Amino acid sequence: MKITHYIYSALLAAATLLSSCHDIPEYADDPRGNFEALWTIIDEHYCFLREKGVDWDAIHATYGEKVKPAMTREELFIVCADMLAELRDGHTNLSSPWETSYYRQWWSDYPQNYDGRLIEEHYFNFNYRQVTGVKYGILPQGNIGYMGYGSFTSIVGEGNLDAILAYLATCDGLIIDVRDNGGGNMDMVKRFVARFITERITAGYMIHKTGPGRDEFSEPFEYHVDPAPVGRMMWTKPIVVLTNRSTFSAANNFVSIMQYLPQVTIVGARTGGGSGMPFSSEIPCGWGVRFSACSVLDAKGNTTEFGIDPSEGCAVDLDPVAALEGRDTMLDFAINLLTQ
Amino acid sequence: MKQITNILKRTILAATLLTLGAATTRAEDTPDDSEPIRPVLSAWTVGIGSSHLADTYLTPLKYSGWGASVGYERMQASPWSPRDWVMQLKVSADMDRTQNPAHNATMWAAQLHASWGVMRRWSLPCGLRLGIGPALRLEGGCLYNARNSNNPASAKGAVTFDAIAYAAMDVKLWRLPVTLRYQPSMPVIGAFFSPEYDELYYELYLGNHSGVVHPAWWGNRFKLDNLVTADLHFGSTALRLGYECNWMSSRASNLTTRMITHRFILGVTVDWISHKPSKKSVNPF
Repeated sequence: MKITHYIYSALLAAATLLSSCHDIPEYADDPRGNFEALWTIIDEHYCFLREKGVDWDAIHATYGEKVKPAMTREELFIVCADMLAELRDGHTNLSSPWETSYYRQWWSDYPQNYDGRLIEEHYFNFNYRQVTGVKYGILPQGNIGYMGYGSFTSIVGEGNLDAILAYLATCDGLIIDVRDNGGGNMDMVKRFVARFITERITAGYMIHKTGPGRDEFSEPFEYHVDPAPVGRMMWTKPIVVLTNRSTFSAANNFVSIMQYLPQVTIVGARTGGGSGMPFSSEIPCGWGVRFSACSVLDAKGNTTEFGIDPSEGCAVDLDPVAALEGRDTMLDFAINLLTQ
Repeated sequence: MKQITNILKRTILAATLLTLGAATTRAEDTPDDSEPIRPVLSAWTVGIGSSHLADTYLTPLKYSGWGASVGYERMQASPWSPRDWVMQLKVSADMDRTQNPAHNATMWAAQLHASWGVMRRWSLPCGLRLGIGPALRLEGGCLYNARNSNNPASAKGAVTFDAIAYAAMDVKLWRLPVTLRYQPSMPVIGAFFSPEYDELYYELYLGNHSGVVHPAWWGNRFKLDNLVTADLHFGSTALRLGYECNWMSSRASNLTTRMITHRFILGVTVDWISHKPSKKSVNPF
């Protein structure tokens, strides 16, 4: 029985020792604990601290001073939200029961250069087709096809794309309007791009954090897009992708891939970026936090977090005076480019 | 006819005792001594109790709640040296529902476990029976936190070689025969799955599978299962009451997972004998 006693003693010791190696830090559910938990989550997981030149330690000192033991939850939320705003990231939010913080300046500091009604009324006279999230038709100003896609969260099936491209097949050019497209599903991006390529392409690279250190990143992983299977409707004629500052996240990723296709021109304004794939976490009081944890680079290995510029000579804005007359100067530019 | 029935009863009783519940008693000699009958002890159980989960891929907070399980256990003397070795098959499924400390987020866990092992057994003069041996265990499942955006789930998978053991003893509860058993099991070596620190499953889906399989040893994946049962025998059927505590802690790619469950077990065990017409047997069917 002595042997059994030794075995159990060893097991107990091993369990105690090994479990202590797998410690999970805990923070108190008070203002200081919640602040420290939030700061640590960003410190260990946020992927753009270096790239954006954010001095996260200095930010801890600045905002940590504002945290007081007696402050209310609302006051704490304001401090924490302001701290997250320092990241200048549209993918970073703090969610409480009464508010979700949101860094708006990435688009609010830029002109609103898209008006869907303008196109629907003055270019199509409301005579356009709509399937799932895509509005499409043939512009009467030329033999140009138009697809307006407002969100990559709208699921567009392969059959939908076949129908759209078949309807537009006789057009000489295609305008894909992703202005104000706030992103969504990355698989939708691949589904769209697959219709415009004839062979496998490098879509970009993904990098994720491999540890809590600020410089711990994986090697870039190259990912691809393959052409749609034989039998699907394809498009190899000229394309203009219309963009603005509110072209964000997955829509930004779509532009980052399309910009390198030979038949594609990017027209409009610099996109909004948002190339960090967001992760979620939480702090002891139950507030959720979302932040960029995985960076997606374009096919040349460039970051697109800060947006993608239009093709050379194709930066154009919406003229508000022309808009009052029923003209979308960005769309007009795209039409002229394709009909020249 | 009555004589045959008596022989059958005695044989079943002796063969049942040969397995886990009564390893000290040898089965009666069959007409063919080289092939003793090897009865099977089958147990079907359900369990319910508390669960404590943590997975830093999903959240840095520890979740607590309840869980339930269903299990099947099959024990039989081995075909080789049946009086010294016993085989054990265990299959179980767990489902847990837990909440964060603020009670505003729910994390689910679902897991399947299967193990097969053999144990060398001994009988001590005091009536205690001991067994110890190796087992191969397969586990797979998932933790799911619905509030998360691109990291809502954390997949779990492992294949391990375990050390398993038991200690059993027959006692009487008034006039009711009861078999008490304690069975610990613990993975020793193996391999398990874990994504990298902030790696999205979308990246895995795109084909980046590097660094997701980790060798398992006590330093990075420590797991200890403890099972205590009391089988209250009513003929060849027994009511099983028990308690199970499963404790697991792993750390890989700077991610920590901890799963602790407590289950009160209720089940039924049945002793049965498989009949193969090609073999000589005392079974008179």
